[in-house]
Amino acid sequence: MWAAGSARIPYVYTGFIARRTRDGTISELHFRVTQPSGYLYSTEKLRQLVDIADKYGLGLIELAGQQGQMIISIKPELANEAIDALRSIGTDVAATGDSVRELAACIGPALCEYALYNTLEARDKFYTHPKIYEWLSNQLFPFKFKAKFSGCPMDCARASHRADVGFIGVWVGAPEVDLELFRKKVESGELDVEKIVARCPSGAISWDKEKKELKIDGSRCKKSMECIRTAFPAIKPGKERKVAVVVGGNVKGRFGPKLGWFIGYLNPDQIKDAVDLTFKVIAPWEAEAQPKYRLGDYIMQTGLDKFIEKAGIKLEGAPFTGKKPDEVPYAVLPKEVRERFLMFAEKLKGRP
Amino acid sequence: MTSPKAARLQKVFPVELEKFLPEKVLKNYGKWVDRKYHGYGIIEHISETGDRVFTVKVSMPPNARISADTLEKFADVADKLGIGAVRVTMAGNLEILTDSLDKALKIKEEVEKMGFPVGGWGGALWGINSCTAYLTCTTAVVDSPSITKALGDALAPYFSEGGLPAKLRVFVSGCPALCAGGTAIDIAIVGQWGAPPRIREDVIGMCLPPPKALAKVKEAQIFLVQVCPTGALSLRREGDKVKLTLIGEKCINCARCKENCDAFDYDPEDVGVAILVGGKMSNTGGGARLARVLIPWLPANPPRYEEIVAVVKHIVEVWKQHANPGERLADFIDRVGWAKFIELAGLQDIFNYYQQVPEFARTFLHYRGMGEVPKRLRDAL
Ligand code: SF4
Ligand code: SF4
Ligand code: SF4
Repeated sequence: MWAAGSARIPYVYTGFIARRTRDGTISELHFRVTQPSGYLYSTEKLRQLVDIADKYGLGLIELAGQQGQMIISIKPELANEAIDALRSIGTDVAATGDSVRELAACIGPALCEYALYNTLEARDKFYTHPKIYEWLSNQLFPFKFKAKFSGCPMDCARASHRADVGFIGVWVGAPEVDLELFRKKVESGELDVEKIVARCPSGAISWDKEKKELKIDGSRCKKSMECIRTAFPAIKPGKERKVAVVVGGNVKGRFGPKLGWFIGYLNPDQIKDAVDLTFKVIAPWEAEAQPKYRLGDYIMQTGLDKFIEKAGIKLEGAPFTGKKPDEVPYAVLPKEVRERFLMFAEKLKGRP
Repeated sequence: MTSPKAARLQKVFPVELEKFLPEKVLKNYGKWVDRKYHGYGIIEHISETGDRVFTVKVSMPPNARISADTLEKFADVADKLGIGAVRVTMAGNLEILTDSLDKALKIKEEVEKMGFPVGGWGGALWGINSCTAYLTCTTAVVDSPSITKALGDALAPYFSEGGLPAKLRVFVSGCPALCAGGTAIDIAIVGQWGAPPRIREDVIGMCLPPPKALAKVKEAQIFLVQVCPTGALSLRREGDKVKLTLIGEKCINCARCKENCDAFDYDPEDVGVAILVGGKMSNTGGGARLARVLIPWLPANPPRYEEIVAVVKHIVEVWKQHANPGERLADFIDRVGWAKFIELAGLQDIFNYYQQVPEFARTFLHYRGMGEVPKRLRDAL
């Protein structure tokens, strides 16, 4: 049975979790150590971390992939030196509490052929921005804030559910088909066309048996990646690339778990604008949200369209944000809302 | 010059990727063109330069918590048989990188000798994620790592030998805070209080303004009142004293109060888990969605958690028997519909009995059973 404990490390305000037992007899300290983007380590770096866990801690490590951090249990009395040791190998404790938290990127271009933008670089850009840095090192928010970067709609970084703001690589229109290669793969029996057509959730694919031609209707394609991951590289993501922005997803929040809302696209070469966009997203939430409201909770309370307006976000491809109509035929309505419906009817009245 | 304080304030981030990435990966950065699968757990990444990197995916213990010694042994394997690099996956598995299939198979052999299974790709169990629960957490009501262990033992063959229609991942969280990864997943197991908590009167003062101030501060400004999403926590006047009270009828067992203050206790008798199914995160198939509650409450009986294991195995079996090849649990349920799925799972009688008021009349949280449901469910099972 653990309770929140306390630990003091000079000038380090976030990045560790202190625990004590209820009777106060035992305390623990856990460091949240930032992992490099993509979480790929040379064994040399890994061994250095292992040494630190041995020398300053209990030799116990949690490979917490989802959070982008490694958690190392540290002996409280050695905490200060452990920080120095971590810094000497090029990493540090990251964030805890109501701050900008773990930033996570999928492995992207480092090992994955689907990557539609450089997710690792995007994450690193965030880490090196002074403002993000300040938010990461101090607890200044109503609740925690996470950003995640996925290279394609497979969303390996879990940007749609586990990030307050998520950036997901997508393309516009239909996937690109290398017809020659595709035919070859079909003839050799490597690909089963019928299956590919059937597995497309948007029914966008058709196969002309006679002409041996594959057609994909770009306007219907839901970017499910089903055909691409089956037939790659004969079917690839389309050439025109975008980064879809989702906001408000979270696991732990006032109104329970939620998926993020899509609010529009950035261009892949504007990924540096992602930082600026994130500031806009944070501003109204930081100013107005009650304690322990995640961004998604705040959006639920304000309404997505109002939130976008308050944040001053104007993105290409911004969707219609209205919700599904209510099933309950009664509500307490503010005057402005009633007036809008009245105006709608007024406009229709004159028509023949 | 920067002062020692300023220097100390400056955190260091591992952003110089060249220092962390192995040479072979750096050389082929952004140049990957194809991949091949060699059984469950070994993937060949093919670069346009002709280079190849093989990743061997190794399952980690519950909560991905391992000793420094073990990690060092993996580093040894990666040096001896690999290209001197490992990767921690999003899901807390460990991938060892190498440059030939031959070596990849040897790595597999080696780590299996150490007792760690290799697998988790394609129509297989990709892993079970567990939060830390009692290891470090202040809110836990069930011991998720040991549930993960029990489940892992029961489902292990699916990890290394596949045999499932599509990917399966399980998240086990010790309480509704969902630290194992949320509910957008095939199967989520979530610790439940089962009944509203009790306030520990002797320590609740720690989380409130001092008594005199408490009488003056507006209720809406009390942190714990703000934190509770339903207004179950409110201030009551008792004589000349103001007290924080918990209205059981309003409480939805969301655990938000306990997360923020260690002055709430639950009754071990009521504690259990909910099992949610049919969520997923990626945009494949019908897209990302949250799972729904199939079983609102089951007891968590250590060490083998027979009830939970039996139900999860049953769900997997139903899915296995009725799903099309390549169909995730979520997409399968989508196709047949929830009513049919509940029927296939043999839960229709209980669901007829476990009627909930319409969604709009409840809160946003789906955790709440009605009144006596946990107890009655326990009797029914
Ligand atoms: S999200 Fe897409 S690009 Fe990133 S690792 Fe996954 S499949 Fe690859
Ligand atoms: S899910 Fe609950 S028990 Fe598990 S770590 Fe999170 S708060 Fe603790
Ligand atoms: S469990 Fe949730 S609803 Fe119940 S008192 Fe605590 S915060 Fe309020």
